[in-house]
Amino acid sequence: MMELPMMMLMALVILTLGSVFSFKYRELGFYGAVVAIIIAFSAVSLSAPQLIYYSAFIFAIGIINLVSLKAIKSVIQGIDYGLVGMMALATLYIFTTQDLAMILAAFVLVSVPTYILVMVREGGANVEVGIKYITFMVLATVLFLIGAIILAYTKNAFDGVLLWEDQPLLRFYYILGYVMLVLGLSIEVGVAPLHEWVPDVFTSADPIPMSIIASLAKIVPFIVALRILISTSNSLTVSITLFTAVLATVSMFTGNIGALTSKEHARVLAYSTVANMGYVLACVVVIIKPEFFFFALTGALLMLFANAAGKIGFFTAIKSEGAFSPMMYMLAFSFIGLPPLMGFWGKLFILFSLVKAEYIWLVALMVINSAISIPYYLRLARELGVGWKTNLTNFICIAVVIITLITFLPDWFFKGMEVIAQTIGIAI
Amino acid sequence: MNEWIVFLLLLLAPVVSSIPIALAYKSKGWTEKLPYLSVFGIFVSVVMSLYIFFVFPENQQYTYAWIPELGINFVFMCDYLSRYMGVITAVIAFFIAVYGLDYMKGDYRPSWYWFFFNLFTASMLLVVYSDNLFLLFVGWEGLGAASWGLIGHWFRDDDEITYVGMPKRKVGPLELSWPPSFGGWRAISTIRFGDVPMFLAIAAIWVLAGNLNISEIEWGVLFGTIGTAGTVILLLCILMGLFTKSAQVPFSEWLMTAMTGPTTVSALLHSATMVAAGAFVFIKLTWYIEPWHLHGVSGLEPVYIVVLFVGLLSGLYGALSGSGMLERKVLLASSTMSSIGLMFAAAAASFWVGHFAVLVAFWYMAVHAFAKASLFLVSGHLIHATHSRFLCGGLEFGKRIKPAFIVTFVATTFLVGMPPFTAYWVKSGMDEVMEHLVHDLGFLPLILLILTSLVYAGIMAKFLSLNFIKGEKPHHEHLEGGGLMKLGYSMMVSVLFVLIYLIFKSDETAEFVHAGYAPVSFAVGFAVLIAYVVALYKPQISALSKIGTFFNDRMYLPFANDYILPKTGFFVSHIVQEYGNRGIDGLFNTKVIPGLFGGISKGIRAIQTGYLSRYINIVLGLVMIVLILAAIGGVGL
Repeated sequence: MMELPMMMLMALVILTLGSVFSFKYRELGFYGAVVAIIIAFSAVSLSAPQLIYYSAFIFAIGIINLVSLKAIKSVIQGIDYGLVGMMALATLYIFTTQDLAMILAAFVLVSVPTYILVMVREGGANVEVGIKYITFMVLATVLFLIGAIILAYTKNAFDGVLLWEDQPLLRFYYILGYVMLVLGLSIEVGVAPLHEWVPDVFTSADPIPMSIIASLAKIVPFIVALRILISTSNSLTVSITLFTAVLATVSMFTGNIGALTSKEHARVLAYSTVANMGYVLACVVVIIKPEFFFFALTGALLMLFANAAGKIGFFTAIKSEGAFSPMMYMLAFSFIGLPPLMGFWGKLFILFSLVKAEYIWLVALMVINSAISIPYYLRLARELGVGWKTNLTNFICIAVVIITLITFLPDWFFKGMEVIAQTIGIAI
Repeated sequence: MNEWIVFLLLLLAPVVSSIPIALAYKSKGWTEKLPYLSVFGIFVSVVMSLYIFFVFPENQQYTYAWIPELGINFVFMCDYLSRYMGVITAVIAFFIAVYGLDYMKGDYRPSWYWFFFNLFTASMLLVVYSDNLFLLFVGWEGLGAASWGLIGHWFRDDDEITYVGMPKRKVGPLELSWPPSFGGWRAISTIRFGDVPMFLAIAAIWVLAGNLNISEIEWGVLFGTIGTAGTVILLLCILMGLFTKSAQVPFSEWLMTAMTGPTTVSALLHSATMVAAGAFVFIKLTWYIEPWHLHGVSGLEPVYIVVLFVGLLSGLYGALSGSGMLERKVLLASSTMSSIGLMFAAAAASFWVGHFAVLVAFWYMAVHAFAKASLFLVSGHLIHATHSRFLCGGLEFGKRIKPAFIVTFVATTFLVGMPPFTAYWVKSGMDEVMEHLVHDLGFLPLILLILTSLVYAGIMAKFLSLNFIKGEKPHHEHLEGGGLMKLGYSMMVSVLFVLIYLIFKSDETAEFVHAGYAPVSFAVGFAVLIAYVVALYKPQISALSKIGTFFNDRMYLPFANDYILPKTGFFVSHIVQEYGNRGIDGLFNTKVIPGLFGGISKGIRAIQTGYLSRYINIVLGLVMIVLILAAIGGVGL
């Protein structure tokens, strides 16, 4: 049996070939991407069986993203499939390696394709949006990578130090690295108050590429950040964690309150993303309690999956001016956090991990935020909901609703996460 | 036979047997036949209760898992009290049910009636046999729900004969006349008022004692843990449930207007269920708390003093009110309240007297149950026969309705405590108990008991006299039929002879017989006899009509229920509506919070001007500030 790197390489080759030949036959790009994702999914699941549930979700989201691209006639059709396939591959790969370099490479591989995807629109390129987006992404990537490198350096340096109270410079480096990484992450995914690009890009770009940027692209940055932060954490982390908690809180409130009076649907979704990224960022707090970290990891991933499912559904509905009403309500309920939908479990696990990390005020604020979000999600569902039509949009919506329903009893997923959390550390 | 089958049949037979008639409510044909099935269900309960009485060993506990993690299980206790009380409940319910076959014929909603009647019986049986307080509370709430359904049975309020109170009688702003729908509401609202604290008390016991089985809870340890104030609060919370259910002052009003229900319901409500349930639970708790052994526990004595005097005052209040009453069933209702008061008082006296006082209370409950049920059944027959709910019927009428006349005579003489009839021996025990209290609490309890007994004898004689001897001639007379009704009350009253036999035969009640021969008891018994005879001869004294009206108005206690409480409630709700609501509405719905959110939301969105340069300024500025702060903090930490 072939080993994981070989299979991933094979997937990449197929992906590249598919993209190359799509100049001649457009469909080849699509099938190449699908085959590549299938190979990567099989490779990851075979080499690390505990990752099968995670991989299955990424597989599903990746395929749905690919299918949704069929709803748009872009000038780079063919290549765009390849880009999405690349992101999916990197997202599938992210848990399988302990190597910092590979992990950072995966981060870049998920980030860069979005620079091109964001400009995709019918019959042309959305250059203005592209510039806005890329400007911030470059800043984010730089901050993130430098922060990661500094943290890795401090980790190695700390290991040789017994009494590092005597090492002011090392402490300074650690704090700087931590803050840079978190700031980079925040700009990358759109955490307030560094979210300014989000509402503009979400409203001016085409809904279909947006559905990809708002779903698949959000997962890897968080996983990378969590893995680096937990691997480099030390006794200073407890003090600096408050910074992350405050950032998460600001983001929740900004997102949820900003969405309340937004009229444009894409803008509501933009602020919803800001809020959701705040919820997920709160999980970073839990690295101070490694024994409960798997609750936070479960919560963060379920939240990211629920966010991905919801964003795909709503953006696709915006593209085709409405989707089947019950599906819209299901997605809204998932975002609000009604049991037994995935959004509920995501929030529940995050809240539970925060309780264990003794961040009770953050728990209270998060619950209040869930309540604030109710009106705009229901408004979204009401305004986007229409009668049944047999079309691609509704099939995509059914698929994502199934995803939100699949964890109606999440213990199997949670148990898988428990295993993953044990091997989350990175060799630095 | 397996024990669990016995309990299953005992408790479920009445309910299951009444489901068909409840479902067949639309079919006139079926609702005429199916009552026999419902009665059969109760008969099964009778058989099971007798089986438990004769076959099951005493003081045996039977546990079947329900929610074992929480200590909530189906726990049944076959002790002295439940073995007797189970039989009493089932037998009385069965006799009344047989009577009801005749009495409820042609009623407009038999399905409703039989379902709730049987639920009532099953609920009481659950209360009687439960050892687990939570399970007991399930039965307790079943009693509440069924009583609401039955008291308001004639919910259309379209027949004046079902009302309680004098038509068009007004005192101040209040009309002292109540229709069935109002009666049902008064019952459930009063009972709920007491059930909530009782439920909280059960929850507190669960938390504090970790066990809900009455016979297993270490009561002394529990009271010791929670201290004086805790003990008083806990017991008063339980007593709120018991006093409201048993209609003790000041919660007695609902019982009077409960007479708007069918007479069979009144009979069951007053003898073996509902009002008896409160007293029975108090007797049961006292039986296991054994307060006479806990004189070192502070907080217990004041509570037992409260119960003693609430009981005695209810006894006197009920008897006095009854003396002014002219409605057949309401007179009996207030006499019941009086009797229940004496049960509470006797059981409470056990704190000073010991176990014997609890036995007295329990046996008085048994005697009272059969006598009072007989009287109610007679009065239902009289209402049918005369088309009047008021006391009426002369000697001529009495001769024509002989079985009712005889049964009333037997029931009243056996109940009031005149020698040598059944209640005399139990009442003698009660006299002895109150005499014992002289040392601790003075003469007041004994005086109150004797006064109550005398007035009580008077009202029972008045009931006999004004219905069969000296009453006005009825406007209508309808004496045909009613065979099952006659059978019902004749069987009921005959049990009183069985009881006197048991009192003389049983070891536990030997002390009653002994007390009966004491001079004080004999003197009280003789005085009771005199009072009875006098009242029989002169049931109404015109010179006292004003005070009689005052008693008939139940000393204006309805004002508390129907005027002061509602007015207070309306006042509070008015304040809340006018001022509170406007404020809350303004804060949450119309002005403050929506305005705040709107403003902040617009502020958040105002950042989005669309200009990249502005965004860069913001983000880079923030990043720089944070990094500088982090740098300073990093050095400082």
